[in-house]
This record gives sequence, C-alpha cells and structure tokens, in this order.
Amino acid sequence: MKNIDKKMFLEFGGEKMNREPVAIKGTKDGLTIILYKNTEFEKVKNVIYEKLKKNGEFFKGAKAKIFIKEGVLEKKEMEDLERLLGNFGISLKKDAMLKAVPLPTHFTTTTLYLKKTIRSGQKVIYGGNIVILGDVNPGSEVLAGGDIIVLGALRGLAHAGFKGNKSAIVAAHRLLPTQLRIADVIARPPDGKHETSKVPEVARLKDDMIIIEPYYSVLENNKSNQEGNQWVR
Amino acid sequence: MGQVIVITSGKGGVGKTTATANIGTGLAHFMRKRVVMIDTDIGLRNLDVVMGLENRIVYDIVDVVNGECRLKQALIRDKRFDNLYLLPAAQTKDKTAVSPDQMKKLCEQLKEDFDYVLIDSPAGIEQGFKNAIAGAEKAFVITTPEVSAVRDADRVIGLLEAAGFEEPKLIINRIRPDMVKKGDMMDINDILDILAIGLLGVIPEDEKIVISTNRGEPAVVDEMSRAGQAYRNITRRIEGEDVPLMSLDVEPTLFEKIKMFFGFRSKR
Repeated sequence: MKNIDKKMFLEFGGEKMNREPVAIKGTKDGLTIILYKNTEFEKVKNVIYEKLKKNGEFFKGAKAKIFIKEGVLEKKEMEDLERLLGNFGISLKKDAMLKAVPLPTHFTTTTLYLKKTIRSGQKVIYGGNIVILGDVNPGSEVLAGGDIIVLGALRGLAHAGFKGNKSAIVAAHRLLPTQLRIADVIARPPDGKHETSKVPEVARLKDDMIIIEPYYSVLENNKSNQEGNQWVR
Repeated sequence: MGQVIVITSGKGGVGKTTATANIGTGLAHFMRKRVVMIDTDIGLRNLDVVMGLENRIVYDIVDVVNGECRLKQALIRDKRFDNLYLLPAAQTKDKTAVSPDQMKKLCEQLKEDFDYVLIDSPAGIEQGFKNAIAGAEKAFVITTPEVSAVRDADRVIGLLEAAGFEEPKLIINRIRPDMVKKGDMMDINDILDILAIGLLGVIPEDEKIVISTNRGEPAVVDEMSRAGQAYRNITRRIEGEDVPLMSLDVEPTLFEKIKMFFGFRSKR
C-alpha cells in the first residue's frame, strides 16, 4: 500500500500503456538501456532478460548505462538490474545514470483512480485524467494533464490540463474549490458569502474563461443556463 | 528601509497567526504603512486563511526562493487594504524547503519596499523557527497566561537572545480579567516577573476573535471588539506612541448589577 501511495505522488508522463517498457540502444560509449518505468519492475526485468538472451554472447564485456525516461528506480531495483546485467557479462556504469527531462507529452486517456480523501498538504499530480472517489479538502492540490472528476466534495485546488490542455474539464459532485485552474486560466470564487450549488457541476473553458454549469445541463446537449461568470480572474 | 519583525511563541495555538494578521492589518489600515506579512509555517499554513486570501494563492514562498517566480508575483494584495500584502507559505512542502540564508535574502529584498515586514513563525524551535528568525531584526514573543505557554516563551526568549535579538517584546494573549481577579489565572505581573522583558500589549479573551478568524477578517478593524482595541493600541505602540494599557475591567453581569442594586457588596 505504501508503495502505491509513493507512486501516486510521482509525476507521470501520461504515456500509452501498450508501449515497450524498455529500449536497448548501442552507442559509441556502450549500451544505453532506456526505461519507461510506469510498468511493474518485474515486467521490466523480464523484458530486459528476454532481449539480452536473444542476443546471446553479443553484449559480453560491454558497459551499460541506464536512462530513466519516466518514474524512479529504487536502490533495491537498481541492484537487481546490476545483478541481471552481470549475468550477461555487462557492467553497469552507475555514475552515468541519466534522468530524462519530462517532455511535454500528448494527452492520453490513461486515468488515475483514487479511492480516498485528499487532505490538506497532499498533492496528486498525474499526466492523464484523475478520478477521485472521495473528497478533496481545502489546502490540497490535484493536478491532471487531462480531466479531474471528483465523486465527492471538491474543496481544494484543482488544476485540469496543467500542461496546457484547454479542453480539460473539472467535474465534481459538489464543486466548491478554493481555486480552479484549467490550462493556464485561473479562477476563484467571489469574495464574501455566496450561494453554493447543491447539484453536481462541471467547469470548463469557454473563450478563455472558466465557466461552471450544472452537470445536468451539460448532459442536455451543452445547454447552459447557469454560467459562472461571477468568477474572477 | 523598513523593519523586519518576527512574531513567535514556542508553544502552538497561543495566537501567533492571529497577532500577525491583526498587527499587520492595524499598521496598514490605521498607521497607513506599507506592510508585508510572511507566513513561514510551511506545510501548515494558516495566515492566508485568517486573512481570507486563500483562494488568491498562485505562487508561494518556496516558489520565490527557488526562483520559480518573481517576488512581486507571489505577493498577494489584501482585498481591503491596498498597502497590505501577504507572502503565503507552501502547503505541500515542508520546513526544509527554505533555508535561513534564503530567508535573510528575502527579508533584505522586502524591507527595501515596505515599512514593516512581519514574519509569522511556526510553533516549535526547530528549522521552521530558525528560518523565521533568520532575517528578522526585532522579535515579538506571544504567550497566554498558562504555565506551559510561559515556559515555552521563556525558552524562546533565551534562543532569541542567543541569536542576537536585543530586546524581544512580550504580548500576553487571552487574558480573562474575571479569572485573574479570582486568582484562577496568572496575572500580568506574574508573567512579567518570570520573563522579564518589555510588555508590548495585553489582549483580553474575546469571542469576536473566533468569529473574525472564521470570516477571514482581522478583529483589529472591528470597533466593538475588545481584542481589536488591544491590537489597535499595540500598533500605536509599535509606531512609538505612548499608549497606556487598556483597562481590563469587565462589565458586571446583570445578576451582579441586581445584587448591587439591592445593596449586596460585590466581592469584585
């Protein structure tokens, strides 16, 4: 469980699930092993094993470095890999570890599904969509490359399409955020007491303004009858 | 060139944030000073909530020291007073995200532009506290009339003196005159006896503070609030005026008035 939590707070690139988790390339400095580590480590290990086995003794004596495109490699996993490569006569250059700069990725449909309350001080970042079965409390932050859907009360900060996706939406059973962001547009509720809606609502961008509509009117072919124009900034 | 003042206490929950909000607002509104308040309680930020500015936060102090944004971008102007600003803490980081050196630089920069830089310190005496005092020249120590709070205030005064602060000033918060009279609560002199530093002000217990905190509107602007009056006096004393301590006598209750009317002598 602890492991899942840790992964949840990592920033993922939102890559397609079906891509090969490993690529091995020969360069003039030796081998470069590229890991797209949003796959399970066991699977990554198996793929490397298969690839090396296919090539027989060809790589013997070579030096390899590891290039982590996404995610992180834990120390134990690193040692595991080193052992695996050692079996094929490949030495690992640990000092030459490379960390990739996350490239702006295309938006995908991968979705992070969370069944818990996001509390103050917690931050969830994910490249794809985020669905939360629980509440998002004030003082917490949820950032998604795609849409954010909260099947509870959204009272914290939500940033949909944080890499620039203007078609991203934020939907919540109770949409009461401290602040809403979609792509590079920021909005906050008006000061002072105001009526809070008692129906599920959806926020989206329209002409570079964040508008909020009841979910049911979104269903009725985008007929909006309650545009959130009183929201500022 | 402005002054940098840290507001600290050691113990939690004695009113550091409330005091920062009220003194900051008082200096800006009544004294027409340019004031910036810095929340250094990274991970447990509150000052933005007490000021009712939470929904305006885009950048915070960690973004500033890491160079993710310019200082001006992170400063939030108060919604009521044009010359009052807030630099919020980050909520999803921890105290190690800022170093004392970075705080020093930040305070140097801010005091060029502002008359007062007020630093709201976190509870405790660890890294957060060290960050909070790093850039400050003056310190206000706040305590309540409880032995535990006074003990912690004493510890903090010792640390402040060791760090080179010459004369920390004391604010006594949440005094209940009725309890002091009955001898159930430490009085001002008991506290001053132990702490032996200059007194900046005494703030009576006032339920209006709870209301104003929840509304995000500091009590100092509320003419009817007794705590607000005490904070108004404090801001005048900070500006060098000689203001006597306000009388803490409470209005007799209706029952006591009736007793007096019938000639019973009140014990008070």
